[in-house]
Parts: sequence; structure tokens; C-alpha cells
Amino acid sequence: MAAETITAEASPAGVSGIAAAFDRFSHRHAVPSRVTEAGQVALDEVLSNIVKAGFEPGSAGRIDVSFELAGPVLEIVVGYNGAPFDPLARKDPDTRASLDDRAVGGLGIYLVKKLMDEVVYERVGGDNRLRMTKRIDR
Amino acid sequence: MSLEVREDRREAGLLVSPVGRIDSNTSGELERVLLARAAEPRLVVDLSGVEYVSSAGLRVFLMLARKVKAAGGRLALCSLPASVKQVFDLAGFTTLFTVEPSVEQALQRVSS
Repeated sequence: MAAETITAEASPAGVSGIAAAFDRFSHRHAVPSRVTEAGQVALDEVLSNIVKAGFEPGSAGRIDVSFELAGPVLEIVVGYNGAPFDPLARKDPDTRASLDDRAVGGLGIYLVKKLMDEVVYERVGGDNRLRMTKRIDR
Repeated sequence: MSLEVREDRREAGLLVSPVGRIDSNTSGELERVLLARAAEPRLVVDLSGVEYVSSAGLRVFLMLARKVKAAGGRLALCSLPASVKQVFDLAGFTTLFTVEPSVEQALQRVSS
């Protein structure tokens, strides 16, 4: 089993740093590229939503991310302080609408659900936590 | 972590090739370059050098398609790597775009 934890501020720079850490983790543990790419997209969706949602003025946004490879399962856990918010509760977007009627809102979290095998939201203490897993062997 | 956007003016149309990852950090740069080219009558975007695309990038492609359509131009995307194709398919974007397997076929498509 391999595991790594990183804490970053809720900002575009923080998101970049987490993406780079996930790249290194995947490379070091020979995670297949299709799984790494799915994980990168999922991380970008979740983290950019957190940054966009913003935090109370004066309260520093903090994101804790852990990557874990246990046997054939990659687990990415994103935790952050802030008001309770379950992104999974959002209605799936209409992916068959025409060019003019197409909306991008909700597309990100929809991609996360589709790209990962399992996505679970939990409220732990004062933190929101999103746990995402994907098997690397199929 | 960055994105480079190359441009190549061909006889059949303008070829734009983003190279790198298209995510929340880099989509602004892609938006800046691509939307400035939306008035091109024949535009091809070669995605062969793209590592992955998140919804921030999909938003840019959607805006581009609308602008090209409004300007009466023709747009084709080509050479989507597997992970990019998967995201386009999941989002239902493959049906919104003309997608070709190679640069040559895409250039032919916009110029025929």
C-alpha cells in the first residue's frame, strides 16, 4: 500500500500544486495513464469547484488531499473546511441538448461520477469530504 | 502544468494545436487564443497533444463552436487521444462537433 497526503490553500496555485503531486504519485507507483488522466480530470473538477465556491472573507480556505493505492484500487480523498455542501446532490446535466441549448453547469461533477468507479460525500467534523475510488486493473 | 497553443496557417484553413493539459488553470489561455480565431472561415483544432480535458476546457470548445457557427465558419476537431475522446463522449460533446481522426481529414472536411 502506498499513500500520500498534501495540504494546499484553496487557490488556483494550490490546485496546480495538488495536480503536480498527483502526477508524481501516479508516476512513482506506475498507475496506468488512463487512470491517472481520469484522476486528474476528477481532481480538477472537484478542486476548481471548491476554489470557485469561495470561503468566508478572512477565513483561509484549506484543502487536504490524500492519494492511496491499496492493491488494485486508487483512492483520492478531498477534504476542505467550509459550509456543508454535497456536490453529488446536483442534478445531472442534459448531455443530449443541442449546441444552442447546451449548459456547462453541472458537467464537471457529472464527469467525476462517470470517470471514477465510486464517489461518496461525507461531512466529517467541520469538513466536507469527497472520497473517490477507481480500480486500476480494468 | 502549462498549455502551449501552436498555430499553423495551411492552404485549407487555420490549424490550431493546443499541447499540454486543458484544465481550470489553463483553459483561460486556450479561451483567449481560440475565441480570437473564431472568425476564421475554416478552422481545425488538433487535439493530439492534449493530455486531458476537464469541463473548464469543454466550456471553451462550446463557446468556440457557437461563435464559429454565428460567424458562418466551419470548425473540425481532430486526433482526440483516448482520454480526451472519453470525456467528449461522456459529456455528449462528440455529437456537437465534427470530429476527424487526422489533421488531413479535418482540413479536407472544413474546406470541401
